[in-house]
Amino acid sequence: MSTERDRATEGVLWPRGRKTVDVRPLAKRLGTLDGITIGELWDDLFRGDEIFPILEEELTRRFPGVRFVRYDTFGSTHGRDEQRVLAELPARLKELNVDAVISGMAC
Amino acid sequence: MPSASLVCEGFRGQAATTATGLGLPGLPTALVPGHVDVQSADELRHNVAAVTVDEVIRNLTETISSVGDAVVEPAPADIVFEGNLDEVNRFFYENDWSDGLPIVPPTPERVAEFLRWSELPGETELGVLLPDQRRATVWNVAVNGVMAGCRPEYMPILVALVEAMADPRYGVEHSGNTPGAETLIILNGPIIKELGFNYEQGALRDGIQANTTIGRFWRLYLRNIAGFLHHRTDKGTFGNTWRVVLAENEDALRRIGWTTIAEDQGVPGGNAVTISRYTGGGVIVSVFGNGPDQMLPYLADSIVRKVGWELMFTVGMGVGSQRPLLLLSPILAETLAKPGLDKAALKQRLFELCRIPASQFERYIGDWTNLVPGRPTLSGLVKAGLIPPVFAESEDPERLVPIVCRAEDLMIAVSGDPLRTNAYAFAHNGILGFPTTKPIRLPTEWPRLLRKARGR
Repeated sequence: MSTERDRATEGVLWPRGRKTVDVRPLAKRLGTLDGITIGELWDDLFRGDEIFPILEEELTRRFPGVRFVRYDTFGSTHGRDEQRVLAELPARLKELNVDAVISGMAC
Repeated sequence: MPSASLVCEGFRGQAATTATGLGLPGLPTALVPGHVDVQSADELRHNVAAVTVDEVIRNLTETISSVGDAVVEPAPADIVFEGNLDEVNRFFYENDWSDGLPIVPPTPERVAEFLRWSELPGETELGVLLPDQRRATVWNVAVNGVMAGCRPEYMPILVALVEAMADPRYGVEHSGNTPGAETLIILNGPIIKELGFNYEQGALRDGIQANTTIGRFWRLYLRNIAGFLHHRTDKGTFGNTWRVVLAENEDALRRIGWTTIAEDQGVPGGNAVTISRYTGGGVIVSVFGNGPDQMLPYLADSIVRKVGWELMFTVGMGVGSQRPLLLLSPILAETLAKPGLDKAALKQRLFELCRIPASQFERYIGDWTNLVPGRPTLSGLVKAGLIPPVFAESEDPERLVPIVCRAEDLMIAVSGDPLRTNAYAFAHNGILGFPTTKPIRLPTEWPRLLRKARGR
């Protein structure tokens, strides 16, 4: 049985918080992977150590000039040092002349 | 920089929602069909070569059309809806702002009453929570506290909880991980009695307003500020319902001279909250014996039985970050303490007893789960200097090794029915919800406000 109070109209507030990031445009894509350096980022999970070599093999077959910087160069993106690894990433990618990134694994 | 994110089939929705939260809607992903864990090496190769490679190439080379504009959202003081109790509840549920239980409508008047219990201005930022990257503020703590059915005087605890949630050591961004671990809030200090928390029989059962509504607040806040939602950012395969607040029995602790959880965590003398995520747990019934020698083997055996794949947090991801919790009823704690055993000594005894064969340990992190890359042996990890020598005191595969790196990694709390001989063991989620403690700041006028509140 509803009471008079239940039926009374009330104005209510928004329960969320302001977003701290604006929508940002995505990076311009590359026309080709020929001559491109790809950085590999891995979270040390879900068979990335098997998958990245397959990707390297297949991409090299299609784009003979593509180069790779292996995931172990950067450190795991998911572990005790993940905050440091991610914070250092922009500088590391620049230092290693990386043009694009393949990141895994989301499973 | 152009990127391709490798995403198993069941995780594309989470990837899309997370990217939007990060301000990058439309961030491309490359599909890995099915789930990699159940595929043979040949199947995996076929799937990657036939599907993933093409998607990686498209991700990196093809122009992506812009995906939508920023949505204009309400300001904190905006009235977002007007209606009666049923209508407000329906509106909140339809907007994903409630958990399916009725909420108390967060009116400006109710929120203002909560804000009186904090000396921090409403706009004070307590942190920014991933994955939605939203500001946690004193204001929206109050709004969600009202919704959860909290009383205004719980506000200092709610603020401390959100400070803990926002601490990078805790790792709130992992709250949607597939094991579906759930946070346990442990409360210490005089505030336990002042606000009427249950710390005796049924300590982990809903039904007491303070314990229950603050537990509910936790998950509402994860939903509304961090942004964890079913079928989107929350990928808990099964998940758990939120846990009620566990208040320690500090009378019992004082009688035996043991420290509280907050004191163990380095926050001595006063009111504090400790949060930590547990993958599961279970009750240890009828611990028989009149002292540690008789009781500890059973307790240790039960702790060991709760820990399996979580051993990856002992030696793999986040080495040394596993913190199993043993919850003792007061009579068990008092019996263990009778011969003068303090908490540190008890942890050392348990550390020596909570052991499993090395071969079994290696199966949990290797053959059975593939959760530590390269399937290393414990001896190999010791030789590499990654874990303590205790894991390789011999090369015998049946040697017994500990389940945590150090005795102090075991946590012990005291609560529950004072005169029943049961305990509870929790398995821990490592760095994906690491134990984090924050002091509770009370308003200067706390005693007066409390006296007044009791009269309500």
